[in-house]
Amino acid sequence: MAVSAPSTATEQLPGSGATSTGTRATRLLGIATLVSLLAVALFGLVLSPADVVQGDAVRILYVHVGTVWVAYLAFGVTAISSAAFLWKRTTSLTWDRIAGASAEIGVVFMGITLVTGALWGRISWGKFWVWDARVTTTAFLFITYVGYLAVRGLGGSHQQRGRRSAVVALLAVLEIPLVHFSVKLWRSVHQDASVTGRESDVTLDGLMLFTLMLSTVAFTLLFVWWVLHRQRVLAMLDALDDKGLDLALAERRREGSAT
Amino acid sequence: MDHLGFIVTSYVLSFGAVAALAWRVVTRGRALARQLPEEDKPWI
Repeated sequence: MAVSAPSTATEQLPGSGATSTGTRATRLLGIATLVSLLAVALFGLVLSPADVVQGDAVRILYVHVGTVWVAYLAFGVTAISSAAFLWKRTTSLTWDRIAGASAEIGVVFMGITLVTGALWGRISWGKFWVWDARVTTTAFLFITYVGYLAVRGLGGSHQQRGRRSAVVALLAVLEIPLVHFSVKLWRSVHQDASVTGRESDVTLDGLMLFTLMLSTVAFTLLFVWWVLHRQRVLAMLDALDDKGLDLALAERRREGSAT
Repeated sequence: MDHLGFIVTSYVLSFGAVAALAWRVVTRGRALARQLPEEDKPWI
């Protein structure tokens, strides 16, 4: 029996490249991400031991540290992509879309960081929120990137959107060193870097360190998977926008020639 | 386990939010991909 090949995009297999933003590579990446995130939950909640000082509250930090790392990474990628977009030889809108996708994901992860930090703070400090230098500058960074996303949503052509938001991204990224070094610049109740800090005398149990590293790897994989899919969604939204504009112009020309 | 409520809440909120938003990106991508020809999908 002869089997005819699919002739249109809608006849493709569900979830294949023609009817989704997925490819074989992103599917493999997605599986790796899912497995590693499940492992984070297993190690973070069950297998890793309680901390000598913090007790079980340390389990929240496996999510908190992983997500803040990805938020920094995402905002860094946004800045680099924005610089690449502004660079005269590479004014491809793909860079702008990567910047936008990365910032959206960074805002999600920064939001999770603030929420998990508040829950950890309630246990450790007795309060959900303190006007501490690290906590306050982190909230300010979050608000800045919400503002960046608002700037992306303003009107104009795709190139105008790209230029405008790239400038904002390159200014916004300057806040990250301020957030990171806020614990050194001002008196802070937030702890300094425990694992990577040069002056740190903290020693972590092997399983705790493994869980922390696993968390950063898992959330980084999730970030890469998410950016790939989201920037493809943004590319299709731009393409639909262009087609809508072309249709409107053709309609206007038809109206003009009829009168 | 001490503070079980706070710990479980932090994991449920974090993983739940990520799962919901990731699912939304995938479904949005599928809906948009059906409306566009292949030349607008260079990853194919």
